[in-house]
Amino acid sequence: MTHSHTHAAGRRTGTSSRHGGRSAAPVPPQIPARRGPGGRRLLGALLLVGLLASVLPWWLGTPAGSLRTTAATVTAAGRITGLVAGYLLLVQVLMMSRLPVLERWIGGEQTARWHRDIGATLLVTVLAHMSLILVGYADLRNQSILAEVGTLLGDYEDMLSAFVATGIMMLVGFSSIRAIRRALPYELWHLLHLSSYLILLLGYGHQFAHGAQLYRPGPVRTGWIALYLLVVAALLWGRVIAPLAFNLRYKLRVADVVAESTDTISIYLTGERLGRLAMLGGQHFRWRFLTRGCWWQSHPFSVSAAANGRWLRVTVKVVGTHTADLRDLEPGTRVWAEGPSGTFTAAHRLRERALLIAGGSGITPIRAMLEELPPGAALIYRARTPADVLLSRELDWLAQERDTSVWYVIGSRDDPGPRQLMSPDGLRQLVPDVARRDVYLCGPPGLVEQSVRALRRAGVPRRQIHLATFEL
Amino acid sequence: MRRALLAITGLAASTTALVVFKGSPGTSQVAQNLPTAQPVNPAGPGTDPSAAPDAPGTDPAGGAATPSVSTKPSTSPKPGKTTARPSATKTTKAPSAPRTTTKAPQSTTRRVTGNGFENEYGYVQVQIVVSGNRIVEAVALSLPSGGESDIHSGDVRNRYDGGGGEVVQKQNASLNTVSGATETSNSYKQSLRSAIEQAF
Repeated sequence: MTHSHTHAAGRRTGTSSRHGGRSAAPVPPQIPARRGPGGRRLLGALLLVGLLASVLPWWLGTPAGSLRTTAATVTAAGRITGLVAGYLLLVQVLMMSRLPVLERWIGGEQTARWHRDIGATLLVTVLAHMSLILVGYADLRNQSILAEVGTLLGDYEDMLSAFVATGIMMLVGFSSIRAIRRALPYELWHLLHLSSYLILLLGYGHQFAHGAQLYRPGPVRTGWIALYLLVVAALLWGRVIAPLAFNLRYKLRVADVVAESTDTISIYLTGERLGRLAMLGGQHFRWRFLTRGCWWQSHPFSVSAAANGRWLRVTVKVVGTHTADLRDLEPGTRVWAEGPSGTFTAAHRLRERALLIAGGSGITPIRAMLEELPPGAALIYRARTPADVLLSRELDWLAQERDTSVWYVIGSRDDPGPRQLMSPDGLRQLVPDVARRDVYLCGPPGLVEQSVRALRRAGVPRRQIHLATFEL
Repeated sequence: MRRALLAITGLAASTTALVVFKGSPGTSQVAQNLPTAQPVNPAGPGTDPSAAPDAPGTDPAGGAATPSVSTKPSTSPKPGKTTARPSATKTTKAPSAPRTTTKAPQSTTRRVTGNGFENEYGYVQVQIVVSGNRIVEAVALSLPSGGESDIHSGDVRNRYDGGGGEVVQKQNASLNTVSGATETSNSYKQSLRSAIEQAF
């Protein structure tokens, strides 16, 4: 069933790959050691303990039976939600600090998912905090809620900025609702999201000026300030210092741009000391190509070949203005890269064998990972037309070299062939031991959703299904 | 998203649980608190403190016998609170403390502490800093704390305390009562009055 007919249309150079599909590494890449979920669990436990610790001051400072009136009860609930919100905000920023330790322990995909869930929780908690405090205080002072808003804004230090912070948070949360986000250009959404650092800044003051547990000097206040400093330090490290060190060390530049199909290009990059670059197949970097028109945008692309000590390669489908500009990159262009990140790697496997399912340009991380997976993997490559099949020579070579079975499944999603194959029965027929394999999925959302459903029904445990998603 | 919903529900539930747990006197400290709750309860809804304060408030010497029985058990299980009181004054004192201590030996700046007054919400004591014939600063060494008292005490502190507060502006103890904090305002004025009497 191996698909032999590959289009070479629109190619700038004649070959599909400068290396005839073979690995460029002097020695074949080693199979990376397994990274267990230990780090992730430890971190999860730590964060949970932190959550409890953040409410502890309230618990210790409030005598039992002291909440006799409704106002006091509502205010107390407002304080608890306030403490929780303050803590969640810090966790939320920490998740996005790109701290190398976090990238290693939980991985970019997982942190992005946590970030989304914590974000929604945070927004609700902040709104609850605000409304509970407003209702509670208004009741205490015997005035309407609107009048209470006026009192808080007028008489209380730092409350104006806290309200502004809440406004920004609502805006950010609103723009992250999936349907709305899709309608926004990525750059606008990103800019909006960057403004969330303001929340950290604007929300800071009112916690210490009015927080019943925080305004007194003491261990609680000191600890809370220390948390803030830690998060800011993590942010500086992950976002500024680590990338700076990486780029000063490896000095990446564009070496060549090669057309892989009519709408897909490969960008080859070279640099210094690449032999020491610790990178796993399937990981991605955030790339910033330093040319006019491109430098201000940073996009995540997976590397499409395992580390070989000589060059890096990204394979990109041309879908927007930015990716279109990438076609015209000149050799020698400097590149700013942040990474590597991601847990979509052979190191995160749970089983000895793997099934890989790629859709369209989703083959790129999987192609890189194939070099590092233990032999005996299986690959299903979905593409709409034969022209959409990418890197087929390399895949054919890997199939031989790494004892990998490769199935090209060509056709629209509704064609009978693909439909039968991508069903639970079809998958089981093709890969009888699918339930005992890790499954790596990368492709368009429709394909991923459909495949996950089929895989779950075919008996694959959820934790064995690895998704390559880097939305943030 | 499913996990976010779970987290939100979990947080809402645990917040409610915490508040309910703290709100009911029937927790671990039942034995100590049950007698406490009874004398305090009539004062709880007494947000109009016109009737209740007469007994413990204006007559601190005589009335102290009964309310102190009720307030002491509630303060003793939390020693953190009692130690927090002096430290709370440090917040407001911190910027001025070095100034006054260096001045004290040289000039006529004095620090005078008024008598403490116990009302049904807590203990109130005021200290003033007098330079020559003027009050230059007022500091509440202690104000009721915990629960809603924090808000009222904060309001009182904001209005009266400091180098630019109402005490310094008026130079006497006939201050405007802080709305919602009548009782604490009155105790503040009493303590202030006693401090002024000692100072001049």
